[in-house]
Amino acid sequence: MNLQAVRMSARVVAAAAEVTLRQNVVDAFVLFTILLQPLVIAVLAMWMLGGRGSENAIFVVIGSGMTGLWSSLLFMGGNSINWERWTGTLELLVGQPSHMSLIVFGKNLAVVLQSLGSMLASYALAAAFFQAPLHIAQPLLFGVSLVLMVISFVCFGLVIAPIFLMNPQVHHWQNAMEFPVYMLSGFLFPIALLPGWTTPLSYLLTPYWAARALHGTSGGTASSSETLLCWGMMILLAVVYAFVSRWLMDVMLRKARADATLRME
Amino acid sequence: MGQAVSAIEVTNLRRVFKTNIGVLRRRAKEVVAVDDISFEVEPGELFGLLGPNGAGKTTTVKMLTTLLLPTSGMARVLGHDVARQAEAIRHRIGFIFGGERGLYWRLSAVDNLRYFASLYQMDPQVTNRRIPELLEMVGLADRGKERVEGYSRGMMQRLHVARTLLHDPELLFLDEPTIGLDPVGARELRQTIRNLQAAGRTILLTTHYMFEADALCQRIAVINHGRIVAMDTPEVLKREVRDLSIVELEVFGIPPAVVDRLRALPYVDTVSIENLDQRQSLRVQTPRGAEAVPDLMGMLEGLRVGRVVVREPTLEDAYVRLVGGEA
Repeated sequence: MNLQAVRMSARVVAAAAEVTLRQNVVDAFVLFTILLQPLVIAVLAMWMLGGRGSENAIFVVIGSGMTGLWSSLLFMGGNSINWERWTGTLELLVGQPSHMSLIVFGKNLAVVLQSLGSMLASYALAAAFFQAPLHIAQPLLFGVSLVLMVISFVCFGLVIAPIFLMNPQVHHWQNAMEFPVYMLSGFLFPIALLPGWTTPLSYLLTPYWAARALHGTSGGTASSSETLLCWGMMILLAVVYAFVSRWLMDVMLRKARADATLRME
Repeated sequence: MGQAVSAIEVTNLRRVFKTNIGVLRRRAKEVVAVDDISFEVEPGELFGLLGPNGAGKTTTVKMLTTLLLPTSGMARVLGHDVARQAEAIRHRIGFIFGGERGLYWRLSAVDNLRYFASLYQMDPQVTNRRIPELLEMVGLADRGKERVEGYSRGMMQRLHVARTLLHDPELLFLDEPTIGLDPVGARELRQTIRNLQAAGRTILLTTHYMFEADALCQRIAVINHGRIVAMDTPEVLKREVRDLSIVELEVFGIPPAVVDRLRALPYVDTVSIENLDQRQSLRVQTPRGAEAVPDLMGMLEGLRVGRVVVREPTLEDAYVRLVGGEA
């Protein structure tokens, strides 16, 4: 791939992200998933953990923020493909020469960046109403973890998108996909509380490594080697997700063309 | 010297849709949308695909624009197989599916065009020059920065045209581009299509308006129930009905059984019926011309009959005959 092709691909990603952001800012459902839902979860968690010491506050802020991030990716990422299907633009996207993965990457990037607002909202809530100390122990490592989390979440969304592309009925399963990832990723409580057989599943999910890195660096409980392990896993899984999704996207696109599901009347 | 490649080459193309019917006892049902059609379109030609609603026109266009896979048969666009070489086709074609869909309503026309220019991987400098040119061409230059949600249907259709031409494609698929437009808007769009063809583009146009196909197309394939029932120049198709006359009768509340009896008459070729509020317009194609009127009036005894006109056939009558009165 030459530099010109990379530049063109980056332009496609940026254009898809910009259009998604512009469409989302006027959508009430987006405001619910980004702001309201994480705040409700944060309030509940603060009350539940209130008696265990204020050091849990940053854990709750990050955990509830990540729930908003995952919900946004699952619902907004998935629904945006169905929305394009209903508005007749999905055919235009499929019928143009850029690979659909680039467009979905841009869409997911917009969703994930927007969803960082979930974390900010939880942070503001905890600071304003619970007077919780919100100290980030390792800010530099936390920042790097945050950037890697954005990239790995975007790639995680790439794996989900082809399923929505193939079949418009998949949205019925969205709710069933939401909570297992909350739990398996340890957003709000450690996965050690879950049965042992679920642990390998957690390891395959980039949100787990992202949550572990963010919790560890914010609370100052992670050693350097553990932080590096989390970063490595996020990078590795992002690469794996990217390759798998590219293949999956081609398979599902072909199936959508065979089943005539690119447009709904 | 290499052999010239047809812009479009379709051989025995077929598309079957599978669907399930029933609630408790679900059964698979197959609908044949396109049934073994073959045709070719030469470079620079304006070719029409003409047929009533549900004839298979849009399904054919969707297969040719790589959005739908054929069930069987072969279709090549600009020398590439639509099923296996979609990527090689997509940057060289443009397509419009008529209507208000297929645009981002919350964005302006300029932003819509800019987005598609990025997806078509156009050079930003070319994009900046091309968007104002196209908006000027389709008459949206002064409304380009407004959100599309405030546009009329005609304006949206013109924006579709601009989007389609953005990357300067050599082959255009226009699926019922004038549907829903007011007469002035439709006439302007037809002129735009003529200009595009004059500029050397190959165009496949689908329509169910006979006069539109007659006015624009060099050749027409008439499609009905998924099959091509005739294919030639408009002039040759008109000759199909040169020995017939058209008797138009305005009637009020004609029962279907009477229409069936008219169709069964030995000197009646086809009967089409158009509902106009409380009345119907019957068009009877017959070689007997005015001589058939007394007999036809006899068949309509007891019904209120208004205006009766006997006239020469037009291309639309040829089309009605080819599609068996379904137009």
